[in-house]
Amino acid sequence: MSLLSLLIFLPLVAGLLILILPSAWQQRYKYISLAAVGIQIIIAAFIYLNFDGNTFSGIDVQAKYQLVERVPWINLNLGRLGYLQIDYFLGIDGLSMPFLVLTSIVMLIAVISSWEIKTNLKGYFALLMLLNTAVLGVFCALDFFLFYIFYELMLLPLYFLIGMWGGVRREYAAIKFFLYTLFGSVFMLLVIIGLYFSVTDPVTGNHTFNMLYMMNPANYVQGSLFSTIANQQLFGMSARLVGFIVLFIAFAIKVPIIPLHTWLPDAHVEAPTPVSIILAGILLKIGGYGTLRICVSIFPDAAVQSAWWLGLIGVVSIIYGALNALAQKDLKRLIAYSSVSHMGFVLLGIASVTAEGISGAMLQMISHGFLSTMLFFLVGVIYNRVHSREIHDFRGLALLMPKYTAFVMIAFFASLGLPGFSAFIAEAFSLIGAFTSESVNGLLPRWMAIAGSVGILLGAAYLLWTLQRMFFGETRLMGGEDWRLKLTDINGREAFALASLTVFALLLGIFPSLAFGKMNASVLELIRLVNLK
Amino acid sequence: MNEFLPIISQLLNSAISDFDYLLPELVLVVTFILVILADLFFPDKRSSAAFWVCVAGVLISIFVGFVKNLDIARIALFSNTIILDDLSISFKSIFSAVTILFALFIRYNQSLEDHKKGVGDLYMLLPAVLIGLNLMSMSTSLLMIYLSVEMVSIASYLMVGYASADSKQTEAAMKYALFGSICSAVMLYGMSLLYAFTGGINISDPSFMQNLSLISSPGVTLAIVMVLVGIGFKLSFVPLHFWSPDVYEGAPTPVTAFLSTAPKIAGFALLIRFIEPFDLYSQSSNNLIFDFRTLLSVAAIATMIVGNFSAIWQNNIKRMLAYSSIGHTGFALMAVVAFEGSGFRSLVFYFTVYAVMNMAAFMLADRIEAQSGKTDIRDYKGLGKVLKLDFVCFVIVLVALTGLPPTAGFVAKLFVFSSAFEYYSRSGSILTLGLLIAGAISTLISLFYYLKVPLYAYLKDSQENLSITSKTNFLTYIILFLTCALILLGVFPDII
Repeated sequence: MSLLSLLIFLPLVAGLLILILPSAWQQRYKYISLAAVGIQIIIAAFIYLNFDGNTFSGIDVQAKYQLVERVPWINLNLGRLGYLQIDYFLGIDGLSMPFLVLTSIVMLIAVISSWEIKTNLKGYFALLMLLNTAVLGVFCALDFFLFYIFYELMLLPLYFLIGMWGGVRREYAAIKFFLYTLFGSVFMLLVIIGLYFSVTDPVTGNHTFNMLYMMNPANYVQGSLFSTIANQQLFGMSARLVGFIVLFIAFAIKVPIIPLHTWLPDAHVEAPTPVSIILAGILLKIGGYGTLRICVSIFPDAAVQSAWWLGLIGVVSIIYGALNALAQKDLKRLIAYSSVSHMGFVLLGIASVTAEGISGAMLQMISHGFLSTMLFFLVGVIYNRVHSREIHDFRGLALLMPKYTAFVMIAFFASLGLPGFSAFIAEAFSLIGAFTSESVNGLLPRWMAIAGSVGILLGAAYLLWTLQRMFFGETRLMGGEDWRLKLTDINGREAFALASLTVFALLLGIFPSLAFGKMNASVLELIRLVNLK
Repeated sequence: MNEFLPIISQLLNSAISDFDYLLPELVLVVTFILVILADLFFPDKRSSAAFWVCVAGVLISIFVGFVKNLDIARIALFSNTIILDDLSISFKSIFSAVTILFALFIRYNQSLEDHKKGVGDLYMLLPAVLIGLNLMSMSTSLLMIYLSVEMVSIASYLMVGYASADSKQTEAAMKYALFGSICSAVMLYGMSLLYAFTGGINISDPSFMQNLSLISSPGVTLAIVMVLVGIGFKLSFVPLHFWSPDVYEGAPTPVTAFLSTAPKIAGFALLIRFIEPFDLYSQSSNNLIFDFRTLLSVAAIATMIVGNFSAIWQNNIKRMLAYSSIGHTGFALMAVVAFEGSGFRSLVFYFTVYAVMNMAAFMLADRIEAQSGKTDIRDYKGLGKVLKLDFVCFVIVLVALTGLPPTAGFVAKLFVFSSAFEYYSRSGSILTLGLLIAGAISTLISLFYYLKVPLYAYLKDSQENLSITSKTNFLTYIILFLTCALILLGVFPDII
């Protein structure tokens, strides 16, 4: 058992342990989860420190991946369908490694904020750990079959986590989330099968689910559906373009993009705080990661072909998300829409296919991972105390909760892109990428970058306006004296979580090379792959 | 008559030696008689003797079949009326396994147990119906096909009507028998037409196809469609599905579980057997006698859509599972469309997994009904916290039925999609592409109704105070075993 398997299956073991332990111990479940996540962070830190981002650039060559595990897993002779051969194939490169670290940290915060969960702890922590396993698996898998299994494995725990521990409209939100994601992934399955029959393993000659082989045009069977040379047609379009679009929609639902985003505000608002944290902190990133790892890498030609549309969707998401955030009355909903807006930068960066753009997109995902975690945690703090998060219900909280307000200000300023915080670098790089794209590869027009920067302005507007409405002025609360007593300032546990997130956001803002250094080679490799097409 | 005289002894000899290969079925015949005797001489409330004899007989037949048929590739028996090959052997093992599960299910079913007739006669039907099922998967002559289908049908009518207490159940039994006999009559008519066209009843005989190809196409189409009506009744594909929701709801749950599993799979085996010679002929002579694929593709798409959409509106758990099994029929039809000669392993895998999922789902529905008295999904509110084990298993089984990883349902679905895709890329038929898309959409739709169970059991809280205690019995362990098997097969499908 090597490091990645250990990392992936450790939470699963913890989850099973929780299931086995008697319910009388239910107060200790959270400590078991905490211990599992603690070990996970140590492993992730170890992986990060020992990660050599320059020699091992990954992307399409197995030898350039680190911590590779490749074991034959399923071997079935299916007659005419050929020999079904699936590997248990894990490995990381600069595109996936940062997410392992991010996942571990966000999971830690999620477990810390799970202290608020009071009912049915056994089920809750077991599902949380199962989700943890699935997410880590998605980031490590290099075999499309394995990837898909982990990808789908995320759905059910989330359905129950939202549906059982969520708010008033939790059933609606849970099923909506499930259906949206499944809609994307069922069709993704068809493309996976199409790819399977189009690609052969150059060593054994069997069809394969190996993603790396799918990235090399030489491995495609002549005349197969997705072959680069055959140029097959599907519904009057190039089959490869159709494949790209289907995969992109599957991941774009996760990101989420306009107009496939409507599950997100509902899911976020209804989910309990830890699940919102995981949703915003990690799950949205799977969309971006999948787009890079799978859509762009396997279908580079189609990616270039549709770059303009991707950029447009990104810009629309940025602006539409921000405008929606301006109109929200519920603080959590506001942050949910701000996520839509911020994830738009990711798409814009990816669409530019420039080194700056893709690095910016990667950093934006990581930065947004920390900052959205922090924001949702902050919402959770007041919601736990008074069970309201209407912006209009609060005024002048700064006088009542000074430490809390300080963290809110940090989080808000970091999110709106104040220099010194990670979001600034990330958004700046994405926009630079989009801006230079016209002269470098001519994929995106300049106005998209300009329109994207309007999004930053709108971001400042809704965040500062919220800050002013909720925290400044004379203290006036909806619930009167009762609320005043309940709204105590943050305790040590909460301060620890918030402070550590602040540190990460600052660190990445001041030393972006901590992230860039590890992923730069992979990003360049990816761009080389795309330009090769 | 006289011209047969010189070869009659040879025919007899070959028939006698062929019996050797039919030993599993002979064991079942003996079991059938023994069960009757056992129930006659050792009657008790639970008909234990009959149960044990029945289970033992089926087990011996599996064992005998396993030993005897280990290295058989393909053998034609009884002057080509029966074919024993890998495919039929695999199907026969599925039928036997389902029958044993069915026997166990009957034994631990409260309502059948309490029934004043007792369950002895039901056990008696099991070996008989199993013979019919086995023959269905082996027959290649029209006569054999008709006989085996009728054998299964008559036993099924008896099972459905067995415990009918209220008018609804009687109606179900009546409906089933009427609809069934009309369908077999139509099939018989089609067969007689085929006989008239070709002068033979053996479809695997080359001259059969030769003669058939000389007949004008409308006549052949009519005859084949009529035969397909009979098979379609067993499969309950659209538009021959009307009987199944009512019958499934009205019949005792174990019978429903059985009916939606074994005869259905046998129907598919029969369909494959029936299509095979047509395929071979069209390949060798480049002359398509009848376009099965187009007809079945259309039926498959219609079945997937009708089955899944109708299931959304169902609130009775058995009715919902009935429609879901119609949806699965459509899915399996897709596999049959893409199936050609070799590569049946994916098909066998699909049916094995389907059998496990379906039996487990009905067992769970029954267990929940036995413990809480609830059959309406909307009444499941809050039950998830009381009947913990049952509902955890139920969720896993339903996830498998939807076809999500990491369950075997996903791998089965993947295989079917793969073979359909492979067929598409070979033939380029746009209809197959439609099948794939319909399959994907129906997966999505199926989520709506499968998720209703966890939705009510876990997500909604019950207003009333539930005073239900969880009682485990042997069936619980079987369910647990089946559920684990579903996950295990999902992660390591190469076990089969």
